[in-house]
Amino acid sequence: MKRHFVLAGIAAAAVALTATVAMAQAGDAALAQARANGLIGEQADGYLGFVPGASISADLRGRVDQNNIQRRQLYTRRATERSVSVNEMAAAVACEVFQRPRIAVGERYRNEAGQWRQRTAGAPIEVPSFCGE
Amino acid sequence: MRAALLTSLGAAVLAAGCIPVQIQAPDEPIEINLNVNIRQEVIVRLERDAAELLDQNSDLFGGTTP
Repeated sequence: MKRHFVLAGIAAAAVALTATVAMAQAGDAALAQARANGLIGEQADGYLGFVPGASISADLRGRVDQNNIQRRQLYTRRATERSVSVNEMAAAVACEVFQRPRIAVGERYRNEAGQWRQRTAGAPIEVPSFCGE
Repeated sequence: MRAALLTSLGAAVLAAGCIPVQIQAPDEPIEINLNVNIRQEVIVRLERDAAELLDQNSDLFGGTTP
C-alpha cells in the first residue's frame, strides 16, 4: 500500500517535470521563431528587446519579459559573487552573445548605440566597444 | 496696502525665480552616464563567468551560430 503511494508520487513528479520541460521548450520555440521573424533580438545590454515597428502579441511580450527577468536573476547572482554591478555582468554576457556569436544570420540585434541591425552573411556583427578581443 | 502688495509680489517673483533653479540641478544624468559607462577591464575579467552563464542557461539564449 505504502509502496503504491511512493510509486504514484514518483509518477506525478515525472509528469510534472515533463510538463515543465515541455513548456520551457515551447517557450524556446516561440522565442526562436520570433528571432527568426525579426520581431525580437539580442541587445548590447545583455537582454532581449523588441524590434521597433514589429507587431508583438501579448503572449510573445510575456515570454520575452519572463526571459529577461530570468536573465536579470542570473546576472544579479553572478554580479554579487564577483562584486561587480549587474549592468557590468549583463554587458559581459552581451559580449559573449555578440562575439561567439549567438545571433544567427538574418536575425536582428541592437548595437551599443541603440540602433537595430540585421546580421548578414557578409558584414561582421557590430560588437560593443566595451568588449575585449 | 500697496507696499504689502508689492512685497508679496516681490516674494512671489523671488520664489518663482528660485524654484526652477532647484529643478534644474538634479544629478540624474550623471547617474545614467555611470551606469552606461562599462569598464572594459571588468568585462574582460568577467569573460569566463559570462561564457559559463551562457553554457549553463542555453534555454535562455539563442543557440551558437558559426
